[in-house]
Amino acid sequence: MATTVTAVPPRGGPAGASEVVGRPDEHRRRMARLGWMFTTPALLFIGIVTLFPIGFSVLLSFEHVNVTGNGFQLQGLTTANYSLVLGASIWQYALVFTLYYTVVTVIVELIIGTLIALVLERMVAGRGWMMAMLLVPWSLVTVISAKLWAYIYDPTFGIADSILHALGLGNPVILGGNTSAIIAMMVADIWKTVPFVTIIVLAGLVMLPQDIYEAAEVDGASGWTTFWRITFPLLRPTIALAVLFRVLQAFGLFDLPFVLTQGGPGHQTTSLAVLGYDVMFNNLNFGPGAAIATTTAVIVVLGCLLFLKVFRSQAAEEGM
Amino acid sequence: MRRAAALLAAAGLAVGVAACGSSKSGSSGGSKTSSAPKLSSSATKASGNPTKGTINWWASPITTSGPDVRKVWIAAFEKAYPGIKVHLISAPTDTDTNRATLTTQISGGSGPDVFMGDVIWPAQFGAHGLAVPLSKYLPKSYWSKFAPGLVQGATYKGQVYGAPLFEDQGFLYYRKDLLAKDHLPVPKTWEQLVSESKTMQSKHQVKYGYVFQGADYEGATCDFAEFLADAGGRVLNASDTKAELGAPAVKALSFERSLVAQGISPQGESTFQEPQSLSVFTNGQAAFLRNWDYAYASSNTKGSKVIGKVGVAPMPTFQGQSTPGYSNIGGWNLYINPHSKNIAADLTFIKWMTGRQAQTIQATKFSQIPTITSVRTDKSVIKGNANLLVVPHTRLVPRPAQTPNYSQVSQAIYQNVSSALAGQTSPKAAVSKMTSSINSALGGGL
Repeated sequence: MATTVTAVPPRGGPAGASEVVGRPDEHRRRMARLGWMFTTPALLFIGIVTLFPIGFSVLLSFEHVNVTGNGFQLQGLTTANYSLVLGASIWQYALVFTLYYTVVTVIVELIIGTLIALVLERMVAGRGWMMAMLLVPWSLVTVISAKLWAYIYDPTFGIADSILHALGLGNPVILGGNTSAIIAMMVADIWKTVPFVTIIVLAGLVMLPQDIYEAAEVDGASGWTTFWRITFPLLRPTIALAVLFRVLQAFGLFDLPFVLTQGGPGHQTTSLAVLGYDVMFNNLNFGPGAAIATTTAVIVVLGCLLFLKVFRSQAAEEGM
Repeated sequence: MRRAAALLAAAGLAVGVAACGSSKSGSSGGSKTSSAPKLSSSATKASGNPTKGTINWWASPITTSGPDVRKVWIAAFEKAYPGIKVHLISAPTDTDTNRATLTTQISGGSGPDVFMGDVIWPAQFGAHGLAVPLSKYLPKSYWSKFAPGLVQGATYKGQVYGAPLFEDQGFLYYRKDLLAKDHLPVPKTWEQLVSESKTMQSKHQVKYGYVFQGADYEGATCDFAEFLADAGGRVLNASDTKAELGAPAVKALSFERSLVAQGISPQGESTFQEPQSLSVFTNGQAAFLRNWDYAYASSNTKGSKVIGKVGVAPMPTFQGQSTPGYSNIGGWNLYINPHSKNIAADLTFIKWMTGRQAQTIQATKFSQIPTITSVRTDKSVIKGNANLLVVPHTRLVPRPAQTPNYSQVSQAIYQNVSSALAGQTSPKAAVSKMTSSINSALGGGL
């Protein structure tokens, strides 16, 4: 809820210049023009770096593309790329897998991240140290952390197998099983991104007004009721923000399957991005590959718009 | 006797490569096969200065321990041609990542001058104009010095795209100390290998019998091609238009899976590439290893626990088939980037690398298999190279790399082999998935 304040020229301004109705609008227009002048170079740069490649990629998805030593040869508009992609069972699998992966990891991260944030909020001494330690997984480059996890999961000399063996659970090949490979990947992902969710939720938590909690305590509310009836509803915009970011990131899942399993076993862990990479860079099939990239982007954007619509009022409250 | 056997092996190689190769072209979505190379006695003059300049050479590590053969080559080359500086760019060891990085760079207009590429790349690179057709610049007299079949393997639609640098093939490495101790012969059949492994494992001499490659990558296709050929099968039909896997493929894959199920091979086989399988062997944990030629030198380098205890033999086959078993053809060629500014200098480098001095270095100091006949048949070279001693006795089978869609065909194979090895799919279901994926790939599918 914002009120707009119209600029009112001060009484007794320059002779003949005040009290004319059009003046403040013109001043604002001039300010706006100045603003555009200053931001146009940055906008142009962003446009060239992001919009042009995206546009070209969409164009590629509608053309027969041949890769040559001199770049792309576009050989005629077509919708064959899309019909090929949408009809391919591997793409349908990749879509289902990516959706399933996104939903599961985001929910788990949310729960764990919120729990940690709740604990951190009560910590006064040592909160800074805890946050610094927590941020280490988040700050690691994903490819490097994926390689470290690959060593952990290695069936011959990895520590995960030693631990499982010591617990009497045998010597499973973690990255070789259909379900275990997916779970292992999720563990690696959750380990890395929980700090991100924690930071965002913590930021929201510390901004909550304390008097509501005091009132709740006076009224004798239990811990769970306090959380569920007070904290959680107030945190919804923050959580929505965290979920939005995480869904955007999780949908582009690439580093982990690429490093850990190369999309295997079989194609169990082939996400949409891994499939796009295979089609474009291994098979040099850029038309269908661009179609995969475009459809992924459209799905994510539609999903996020839908999500935003549902949370619109709370999101506006956060000042998004 | 040895010469006749060498000719026989070479002829086998030529037949093997040709068998996958020469037929009329299919429809636009199908595979285009290579024909025999069209070589002429004259050659176009290359642009640039042949004795001065800088060459960016893209090559993945060949050896994983001990001295680096690439650096040894460069040092010797720069001594012979002081005007040319060679700058080594180390490429990824995974051949698929290697290729993907290279194709991105070259199609983007940049990239190295000369690159060392896999023998399965000519069709894909030739079809997309990502390598210079060397037959344009090098006359017939240059190509005739290579062992038969190698030049044909580097040909696509009559043009030769790669100069064979070293040839590779699968070998059976065995612990000769343990076989001697237990009075066991070198196995000639898979069944014999299995029983000998069980003997050695039961005596706790080794943890595993046999290690090979079964991860979700190109290497699994190589190993599978060997088992498949041993079972009497083939991947594609004679015209490269359809998959022809069938019952031999089920037999081959079932055998691979049974090795893991019985504990002869580690459970982790479905995640093993060359380095993992080699390290299990050099740590003394396996009796038999299937790997490429460099493994012999690696097994005898400092850090290995089996120095001096390793023997080399041709691959085994299934009982009832004629010995020896099939070895898959690997190896690396040298290609030139079409965007290279000094093609003349690149050609100087390539000619030197495929010349007597470079080929002798790799054969005598690094146990690699040279590609030019004169060095392959040189008695002094053969004496010092354990692999070369075995080469005349091996039988070769190529991968079906004559189609530009080979990477998809290979993906269909290795994904399903890896899945079957992990016990996630039955061999029969895996083969049927392989067949349908290959047919879809050849038909222009995703």
